[in-house]
Amino acid sequence: MLALKLALRNLLGAGLRTWLNVIVLSFSFIIIIWTKGLLAGWDRQARNDMIEWEVGQGQYWQSNYDPYDPFTLNESHETLPESYRSAAEANLLVPVLITQGSIYPQGRMQPVLIKGIPPEQQLLKLPTGLLSSDDGDIPGILGKSMAESTGLSEGDYVTVRWRDRNGTFDATEVRIAGIFETTVPSVDVGQVWLALEDLQKMMLMPGEATILVRGSNAVALPADEAWVVKEQKELLSDIENIIKAKGMIGVIIWGILLMMAMLAVFDTQVLSIFRRQKEIGTYIALGMTRRQVVGLFTTEGAMHSVLAALVGALYGIPLLTMQALRGVAIPVSSSDFGIAMAERLYPVYSLSLIVGTVLIVMIVTTIVSYWPSRKIAKLNPTEALRGRMQ
Amino acid sequence: MKKLITILLLTCSLMTVSAQYPDGKQLLERIDRNMSSENRIFTSSMIIYGRRTTHTVKMKTWTAGEKKSFTEYLFPAREQGTKMLKLEEQLWIYSPSTDRIIQIAGHMLRQSVMGSDLSYEDLMEDNRLEGQYDAKVTGTEVIDGNQCWVVELKAVVPEIAYQGMKLWVDQERNIPLREEMYAKGGTLLKRTELSDVQRIGNRWYPRKILFRDMLRDGKGTEFLIEDIEFNVQIPEHIFSKASLKK
Amino acid sequence: MIRFLFKGLIRDRNRSLLPFLVTAIGVMLTVVFHAWITGVINNSIEFSARFSSGHVKIMTQAYADNAAQTPNDLAIIGTDTLLEAVSAAYPEMDFASRIYFAGLIDVPDSTGETRAQGPAIGIAIDLLSGNNEEKERMNIPSSLRRGRLPATGKEALLSDEFAGKLGISPGETFTLVGTSMLGELTMYNFILSGTVDFGTTALDRGTLIADLSDVREALNMADAAGEVLGFFKSGVYAEEEAIEISERFNARYFSEDDEFSPVMKTLSMQNNMGFLVEYSGKLQNILIAVFILAMSLILWNAGLLGGLRRYGEFGMRLAIGEEKSHVYKTMLLESLIIGFFASVTGLAFGMLIAFYLQEKGVDLGMMMKNASIMMPRVFRAQITPWTWVAGFIPGFLSTQIGTMLAGAGIYKRQTAQLFKELES
Repeated sequence: MLALKLALRNLLGAGLRTWLNVIVLSFSFIIIIWTKGLLAGWDRQARNDMIEWEVGQGQYWQSNYDPYDPFTLNESHETLPESYRSAAEANLLVPVLITQGSIYPQGRMQPVLIKGIPPEQQLLKLPTGLLSSDDGDIPGILGKSMAESTGLSEGDYVTVRWRDRNGTFDATEVRIAGIFETTVPSVDVGQVWLALEDLQKMMLMPGEATILVRGSNAVALPADEAWVVKEQKELLSDIENIIKAKGMIGVIIWGILLMMAMLAVFDTQVLSIFRRQKEIGTYIALGMTRRQVVGLFTTEGAMHSVLAALVGALYGIPLLTMQALRGVAIPVSSSDFGIAMAERLYPVYSLSLIVGTVLIVMIVTTIVSYWPSRKIAKLNPTEALRGRMQ
Repeated sequence: MKKLITILLLTCSLMTVSAQYPDGKQLLERIDRNMSSENRIFTSSMIIYGRRTTHTVKMKTWTAGEKKSFTEYLFPAREQGTKMLKLEEQLWIYSPSTDRIIQIAGHMLRQSVMGSDLSYEDLMEDNRLEGQYDAKVTGTEVIDGNQCWVVELKAVVPEIAYQGMKLWVDQERNIPLREEMYAKGGTLLKRTELSDVQRIGNRWYPRKILFRDMLRDGKGTEFLIEDIEFNVQIPEHIFSKASLKK
Repeated sequence: MIRFLFKGLIRDRNRSLLPFLVTAIGVMLTVVFHAWITGVINNSIEFSARFSSGHVKIMTQAYADNAAQTPNDLAIIGTDTLLEAVSAAYPEMDFASRIYFAGLIDVPDSTGETRAQGPAIGIAIDLLSGNNEEKERMNIPSSLRRGRLPATGKEALLSDEFAGKLGISPGETFTLVGTSMLGELTMYNFILSGTVDFGTTALDRGTLIADLSDVREALNMADAAGEVLGFFKSGVYAEEEAIEISERFNARYFSEDDEFSPVMKTLSMQNNMGFLVEYSGKLQNILIAVFILAMSLILWNAGLLGGLRRYGEFGMRLAIGEEKSHVYKTMLLESLIIGFFASVTGLAFGMLIAFYLQEKGVDLGMMMKNASIMMPRVFRAQITPWTWVAGFIPGFLSTQIGTMLAGAGIYKRQTAQLFKELES
């Protein structure tokens, strides 16, 4: 305890030099926590968005369905089993029917996926409420990037052509009831959303669906041969890999920041020991063992990081909190490649992140503080007392 | 009250007029007699008016009934020797450059044939009208100086590409001069204009057909029959995959 | 004078070694940090550039309007002449034609009939001309999973998972069924030379990479290409230059009335890239500013420490009659010498490391499952002119400021006190 107090007093006594180090160390803290928080925030956001817009708590796929092979779509629709249907009625399961068709914006044909979803569903964030219509027309909703690539806007009518289950051509005007903004390209690009019942009628597929999205509190459903369970984790694996890769880039940045902090503490420690030999001699003369003196100096050095944590907290907490609340504007760069990325990221600072970072910086600081201090153990106390350099 | 009487009178007069129209079913039979045949061999050119260029494809086709057809491309050089075999609902294509026979399935069937307004599916559709559609003559119109019956067709079988059609049938020659294909919901999808009608053997046949996909911008695709023979004996081996590679 | 001080510094290592080392290491870290941050931040822009947008991209106007669908019927015709013209007109850029297309991959059985079939996204780039730029841009060599890169015509790559699904191995033949520029159905045989990993499901499920000349033949696109991409030879996207080049290009080639006239778009004009460019710059500046600030503080401290170390010596010098101002001046001069040499050394080592990181990159592969095209595992630093400046600011200026502040103590303290420090 005495050592701690002494160390603190010595440290504060050094004035500007200590504070410069402390500020540098606190920068390391904050930047590491901030960048890691940003990544964690991105991770959480991307997962949340994927879950909220598309994945739910996992899905059931009609056994022929393969999202990357449009050939399978003709055969991948199925009537829901009884138990599934009651789950759907209880809003625990959202059935989505997926079919192929063409739209004709500006007289140019464009193949699209037509997806039907119940307007009253609450599980997914899609603004499906817009899909309910009383006046007989067929409302549809589009994602923003689809709207941009087709030049359609709200209130427009667009011709949609499809072939029903018998192969009969049909076409109708779909009224664009709304355009939604989402970070999840896989519910946006190349597709039009209609009300499930409308699409089922259009396709002559009453009561059928292609995939079923599980709600958060969905009860376990009995296994059914026609429906394959897709766990949430599996559906999110792409995004996880990308974020892991981004994290790797950070490792080097964090490494450099730590080295910088080490440099600062190391230099200070070397000077302390050089200049305070007389003091060291005195300590030993007063009966402290050399190990205790080494301990004292190491504690002094390591205490930089404690002070840094406090100083960092002083300006870091308001700064990081503000960021976490207001978010950080981030460009949508990956949307072309099918990865969800929000325009605004909210960094997430978990307790383990903060504690972990503080611990790592402290440990590293302690090691670099200890390293030059070992020299003390080799000092001849009488010489040291006299201030002779060795 | 006055209005009601007018409407009643009008309806009556319409009914009396319709009584003079030919029976739809018979009309379809007469059309089919001209347009369809047990089998045929013909050479045709397809002129495709694209957004950017116009190009021509020439081919020779053998068909037997509605289910079998074999086509060989003659022009341009690039397509020469490409062959297409249609049996029932299946389509195979052979290209000499790859020496491969590939079965076309799924959404590839919806691709247009050689960039035209016709898809492979269109080619594969059964084109006999009688038995597939209920026809009703609804009026008369003149097309290119020819008095035509306007005939509305409604599909009677479920598995059919176009549920509704409208034909303008030449009253004298019993051949449609214009056809319109409608979606189930009533949207006009395609229009074909048939012209240059000539006497071939004991039937009338159009030598020029213009296809237009009405949902798309563009001038459509012109189909010219250069040479046609009806009801000739076609050896069965033509309609086999083996003949694709020959 | 300088020679005298220099000798002193070399002979008394106490005076020089530690400050020298600290400054040198500090400068080195700054240089590496700067290059790394610049590199990885530009990586994401560069990635989009390499994979799809180029630093600039030339398309026909009609193609550009429907770019999301890569409508090859609206492709640029006469790319060879165009390529020649733009290469001459904009020597600061490399240009490359590409075709993105969709098709069907069909694998034959022993009799030549369809054994397996699957839809594919196709990417046609220059693989065979002997110029390796496009391969490297797409990160193809390091993403190779099986087999080898195409070496002659009619060879192509498939995504590994796709090849597995189709049951085809390197050396076997498959057929691409596609749509030509005129809309004809076309067929073309390829020999699978190897397979690659992309790292995202969408592309792993069905992608074909083939040489431009083969695809041109396959899709009847002689002398045509959907897109012509331009890349700065420096390897770095420069917004202003790109805009300037595109303006010059469009003034010359683009015509309102001809929907097939070529139009050049910069990276920032495509998709949401504009925001990315702007934002990346900001993020980079923040990180670098904070780091330089921190490093300045350290080196300031180092200067301070360097001065403090020598208070005893100064006391002695003052005692034997040296002027305070002279002591101060020599001290500054000494630190100037140390700062200079340390900065140069740090810069040299830092640049060496940064250069290595730029050329070889850091292979983070051991921490990731597999390398792939969409997730490159080698990350690279990037040296820009600013890297040099960034290294010098903290290295040189900060040590000087530190020394100046520490030296100020000479004026504050009595000679006797300083002298006493000599004893301690």
